[in-house]
Amino acid sequence: MQLDRVSVAFGAAVALREACLQIEPGTRLGIVGESGCGKSMLGLCLMGMIPDAGKVSGSIRLNGKELAGAPEHVWRRHRARDVAMIFQEPMAALNPLKRIGDTVMEPLEVHEGLSRSAARARALALFDEVGIPDPDSRLRQYPHEISGGQRQRVLIALALACNPSLLVADEPTTALDANVALRIIDLLVRLSETRNMALVFISHDLAAVARATQQIAVMYGGDIVERGPTAQVLGAPRHPYTIGLLGARPGLDNRGRGPDGRRKRLVTIPGTVPPLFELPAGCRFSGRCTREIASCALQRPQPLALGAGQVAACHLLGQAHAGAGAS
Amino acid sequence: MGYFLFRRTLGFVLTLITVSVVVFAVMNVLPGDPALTILGIEATDEALDNLRRQLGLNDPVHVRYLNWVGGALTGDFGTSHSFRVPVSELIVERLPLTVSLAVSGMVLTIILALTLGIGAAANHGKPGDWGVMFIAQIGIAVPSFWLSILLVLLFAVTLQWLPPGGFPGWSDPVGALRSLVLPTAALALVQGAVLARVTRSSALEVMRLDYVRTARATGFSRQRVLWRHVLPNAMVPIVTIVGLQFASLVTGTIVIENVFYLPGLGRLIFQSISNRDLPTVQALVMLFAAIVVTVNFIVDVLYVLIDPRLKGRN
Repeated sequence: MQLDRVSVAFGAAVALREACLQIEPGTRLGIVGESGCGKSMLGLCLMGMIPDAGKVSGSIRLNGKELAGAPEHVWRRHRARDVAMIFQEPMAALNPLKRIGDTVMEPLEVHEGLSRSAARARALALFDEVGIPDPDSRLRQYPHEISGGQRQRVLIALALACNPSLLVADEPTTALDANVALRIIDLLVRLSETRNMALVFISHDLAAVARATQQIAVMYGGDIVERGPTAQVLGAPRHPYTIGLLGARPGLDNRGRGPDGRRKRLVTIPGTVPPLFELPAGCRFSGRCTREIASCALQRPQPLALGAGQVAACHLLGQAHAGAGAS
Repeated sequence: MGYFLFRRTLGFVLTLITVSVVVFAVMNVLPGDPALTILGIEATDEALDNLRRQLGLNDPVHVRYLNWVGGALTGDFGTSHSFRVPVSELIVERLPLTVSLAVSGMVLTIILALTLGIGAAANHGKPGDWGVMFIAQIGIAVPSFWLSILLVLLFAVTLQWLPPGGFPGWSDPVGALRSLVLPTAALALVQGAVLARVTRSSALEVMRLDYVRTARATGFSRQRVLWRHVLPNAMVPIVTIVGLQFASLVTGTIVIENVFYLPGLGRLIFQSISNRDLPTVQALVMLFAAIVVTVNFIVDVLYVLIDPRLKGRN
């Protein structure tokens, strides 16, 4: 799947600005950023599920087929079969009136025309694949009778039912306990490997993304500010926002007291994310960035290749680059 | 589930007992002497006294109440003063008409309301939605007897497609059905308008929920998402209103049967009240109340059948 300069606007509010991404078969891409940075919007773009009020521009190509602006019934044929999605709240994402077996069997019967017994056999295999113990009796249970982790597994089984080549996971672990979350992440990685299925993992949890993905895109205010191989971007971040985001992680090394005897404090990014319609026209991060220069607020920084697949959009990097080229 | 059913059944029985006491009490404080009504003002005091004794009117109140309840439980509601036949006979004769009218009215109400309500919700904020809501608003504002008159004027007088009233009896099935069309429509259009609004708002509420998004993300068609995922989840408020509406449909038949001149229970209760036919009125009011209480009981049980989450509670 390929996104070329995809924007989503709700009236004057731009939720996503000229996003470019390439998702290769079988690869795992992480999308990180704060709430409201547009990462969920990006996920919905991949499903063609932008709310009616949103205007999508740019190019969204699936296996070479242009889908940007395609009507609902065209998108619908690709959902579940080519691109599937799981969501943040496993508690609320399952129909409470349907037995979970019926939920997983529904796409098999509707999309693949399987008989009830064939669909049941496939559902059992899927439950087994996503690590739901005792699938036989689970099929008959209702969502309220199973735990959050198990519900997320059911949703994964549902998403996998029609063998999609891309799975979009929007904050799949946010609502779960830490150890349950870890197991879900490992499950997603394993499924991506065994099925050669691409995975887009949307999260604000850097540790989770580091664990799950090979590529990463960091988003702020509707822009992809930096992307590249996960280890590269998290190990040597270049965009001031990525640097700030990594600094703001609570961890073992910023506990206790520093060498000067003062209590170490969590380094945070100053200010708060402005509302979508108040974002600066140039670099979205200007106004909060500690290293801002004059052109930041006015001019939009272009993505700049920094080698080893790392790309960042920042005027500072552009200057350094231009300076290095001149000398 | 067992405990829930037990509690609801207990409530059901207690409600029926309360209703019977109230009905009996109201009928007994009403002015007017049944004996005088039956024999007329020319009757001698002696004759009146004899009849009162015969009817048990001189017994203490609790004895009369227990006699009445005991009789009702065995299907004996006493003898109608004005028709001079057992009340139970009158009821059995007229019940099928009223039940057909109420049930067909309810079915048409539900069909209309679900299609229009879900359709409006699916087209939320678009002209289709406004259109349905506009018509529903008019439907709510219009009283059913007035709508009946309009329907008669249009379909019976002007177009002459259907009879304006009366009932040929069940031996003429086609004629019977034809004479039920307009009364059914008059009942259903008004009730359907109310239910369509409830259906729409309930469906809109459900459509915002996460599992509807999951269903869309699974690539199901709009129709499938609406009817298989949204509607069942929107059903609890709809069933509540249907229960209440069935009660007003049953009582609505009193008006409709009089407008269309149909020999059902609604017309019977009207005639009995005019004639001060106490046993008949008492039996019919009790019957109507029992129907309403029973429907509410069924609705309570339906909740649990609709939503498995309620099974564990209570």
